Amino acid sequence: MSSTPHPEISAQSSPDSAWPYITRRRFLGVMGGAATALIFSQKPDIPLLTSEMAPAYEGHRPPTQYEVVHTLCEQCVWRCGVRAKVKDGRVFKLDGNPHHPHAKGKLCPRGQAGIATLYDPDRLQYPLIRAGERGGGKWKRVSWEDALDYVASRMLEIKEKYGPEAMIFSTTHNLIQTQFENLLKAYGSPNYGTQRSLCFNAMILSNLMTYGLEEPGRDYSSAQYIILTGRNLMEAISNSETQDLVAAIARGAKVVMLDPRFTKTAAKASEWLPIKPGTDLAFHLALIHEIIENEMYDEEFVQNYTVGFDELKSAVSGYTPEWAASKCEIPADAIRRIAREFALAAPHAFAHPNWRTSNFLNSFQTERAIAILNALVGNWNQPGGLVGGGGGEGEGLGTIPQPPYPRVSALRLDGVPWKYPLVPFKLGVFQELRDNILRGDPYQAKGWFIYRQNPLNSLPERRKTIEAFSKLEFIVTIDISMNDTAWFSDVVLPEATYLERYDPLAVVGDSVFIRQPVVAPMYESKPGLWIFKELGERLGLGDYFQYQDEEDYLRKQLEPLGVTLEELKELGHFPMPRGESAAGEEETPALSWNTPSGKVELASEVLRNSEFPPTPIWEEPPAAPADQFYLLTGKVAQHTQFATQNNWLLHERVPDNPLWIHPDPARDRGIESGDEVWVESPGGRVKTVALVTERIRPDCVYMTPGFGKVSKGMSLAYRAGVSDSDLHLSFIDEISGSQALSQTTVTVTKA
Amino acid sequence: MTTNLKGMLTHIEPPKPNPQAGRRWAFVIEPDRCIDCEACMVACSVENQVPVGHHRNWIAHREKGKFPYLSLHFEPENCHHCSNPPCEMVCPTGATFRREDGLVLINYDDCIGCRYCMMACPYDARYFDEDRGVVDKCTFCVHRLDAGQPPACVETCIGGARHFGDINDPESEVAKLLARHEVYVRYAEAGTGPAIFYIMD
Repeated sequence: MSSTPHPEISAQSSPDSAWPYITRRRFLGVMGGAATALIFSQKPDIPLLTSEMAPAYEGHRPPTQYEVVHTLCEQCVWRCGVRAKVKDGRVFKLDGNPHHPHAKGKLCPRGQAGIATLYDPDRLQYPLIRAGERGGGKWKRVSWEDALDYVASRMLEIKEKYGPEAMIFSTTHNLIQTQFENLLKAYGSPNYGTQRSLCFNAMILSNLMTYGLEEPGRDYSSAQYIILTGRNLMEAISNSETQDLVAAIARGAKVVMLDPRFTKTAAKASEWLPIKPGTDLAFHLALIHEIIENEMYDEEFVQNYTVGFDELKSAVSGYTPEWAASKCEIPADAIRRIAREFALAAPHAFAHPNWRTSNFLNSFQTERAIAILNALVGNWNQPGGLVGGGGGEGEGLGTIPQPPYPRVSALRLDGVPWKYPLVPFKLGVFQELRDNILRGDPYQAKGWFIYRQNPLNSLPERRKTIEAFSKLEFIVTIDISMNDTAWFSDVVLPEATYLERYDPLAVVGDSVFIRQPVVAPMYESKPGLWIFKELGERLGLGDYFQYQDEEDYLRKQLEPLGVTLEELKELGHFPMPRGESAAGEEETPALSWNTPSGKVELASEVLRNSEFPPTPIWEEPPAAPADQFYLLTGKVAQHTQFATQNNWLLHERVPDNPLWIHPDPARDRGIESGDEVWVESPGGRVKTVALVTERIRPDCVYMTPGFGKVSKGMSLAYRAGVSDSDLHLSFIDEISGSQALSQTTVTVTKA
Repeated sequence: MTTNLKGMLTHIEPPKPNPQAGRRWAFVIEPDRCIDCEACMVACSVENQVPVGHHRNWIAHREKGKFPYLSLHFEPENCHHCSNPPCEMVCPTGATFRREDGLVLINYDDCIGCRYCMMACPYDARYFDEDRGVVDKCTFCVHRLDAGQPPACVETCIGGARHFGDINDPESEVAKLLARHEVYVRYAEAGTGPAIFYIMD
């Protein structure tokens, strides 16, 4: 147990000296000789005290009378239902809402730590305009009026001089995304960046090509066999799904985990396969080969509900387990056995579609193989198999009237569709967008509007992103903290945290849920709904924001539901009318698919027409040069991406990100745990600390993303650990636009 | 986080419910279900306003083997609220006391901060609160128990590894788990009578 004091925190002062800024120091009496003597004497046998006789417990006692406010977590994107306990205008505890299907009454460490996001002493407090050079850390405090007037005038100037396409908009998955998109479409820019191409483009596009939907759901309740391809659910926590996986394992489901690292999920799995990076495709192609070769597929399903079986069969004929073993370093017998076990357990079995699958340039093919593997065993809408996706989060809700959007004729800077014909508009190719700002090609971007996103940490090659910033005349960032991106911006606007604001409503399962202010916004922070409306009006786009305020927006959304805002605030959730909810759709097993053929496409005409392979095909990943390592990345349970490193409760749990390295290569380099090491790629080099561990392949090293902040506005996270964005190179898959995040190789030397 | 394991693991005969004996609060932990996410630790820190740098619960790691033959087990732990607590025995002022329902608590007005209890505890469950000048530790969230709620760490356990209840009540979840499974405890040989029971794999 560590007892390291945290001077950074204890030195902070807070207006009401609330925890953790405890200042009360108990006056200590001098310990007398009599007391000391007692310790060495035999203690008489004292009878147990009854509750009445026992002294009252005088430790910290949270209030017993308090208000409970229902809201939604935003410590990650899973959006669990929260019951916030409030006393005298202060939140003192967050609990999981038992009625919310994503929480099931529990919150993960990040959700539990939400109050340290709300009460972070480093929070942005008021609008700031840059006073010195970019990244110099000199700011001028301004009023919201002045800040919004200034932002609007710069945006109008850019639109007038260069056209609306010169302004880039980017954000990350959030409940107010519809209004953010409303702003950029009304403004008229085609340039929209999201995190998606750094995350799951390969998975989504492969499912669109195979099933005509973005991501099939999984039924853990009766699954007997689960194959996880790098999906580290025990550390990359998706609360309810993580709970479901633990329960499935406890029930006896077999879980096969492919990962070059012995993650905590690997530790819980029935079988861990330390696969060679970039070769998961070979493993899955061999499973397909085995299942077809030995006629273990679901013949009825394949015949009635799929197209392209014969073509698939001949395409995979060479992908034998022996062939795969030579690629992925998993014994052929194991591959053969897993194929048999999986097919026998089907339809109560699934190969997980995974999530952040942007690992190698061949990841789209890997994801296609996984989608096809599921189709072959006929697990669609079967107990323990894959289930159809639900509706959108705004489905069935009232809408706010608005005029049509202006026509956009300019090319998108991210190359969709002119360079990436199959990448859906909403996914985009964020790395390409950044590179084209830098190149000024096909035209020069001039401004960037960034909302709740941190591209300076998330995009590979931070150096390039900073250079791209230097090409721009104007950068505005809206966030709750002075993250690295805000630090390099011209204007920074403070948003209210999720515990202080309304957001558009969320439909989950068969109910609508509300995010509402648990406490009033602190400092001068404002909700996004307010910011976008105020900005829209100043841009002459008021017609696109026809709501009085946040409550009015929600009332309009609630109109078709027969529940008032006041009732919903009290209840936290309300059942959606039957037939309109996401769950209503799930209940009907889909036996037609939203693909050109209306069937599951084992061979895809869309891919063929775009001159891509219609069936999954082996693509050799680049080998790591001698003496170099694949640089792996992946989450820890205690942090969310690039957002939580300054949260004092989570910083206390995981303060930095040492470099994992296997003992053999460490020994060769004279490296021991705790030693400083240089990690270098063609993209840059960082000095970090080594963690020598058996839990990783000898040809890989690993570091947790999100650390190595350069913003001095984050007192705990500043320079804690290093950033993988300083090392990652940009590799873009031409089919899905995915960034291949594990394709960068690095050298490691003792510092 | 890596924590050194405190004490040997000893297979014991699970206690049988004794409805006549009154309440005995206890944890029954399924290490197989712990995913080491540390939600319990953060929940405890917030619930009990534990000073930064200290904690009242933790997760011990047991890592074995060499690549690729590895195993990694997690064991959530906190104060064992022993039936024969060494901390109580060494307390010179009687500040540490044991309640009828088995809770081992501290009367902070009587605690002089001598920290003998910290040395006596084989589980390293206690810490010195520098600001208040007293020793502190897990209370099984006594304030929540008194309000009819489970401890904060139990309520939020994502893996469902932490179970809590009255082992003298045969109908309780913990009594049923003890009746069905083999269990082990830490430092049984020290005779502390810990109230955290771990279910065997």
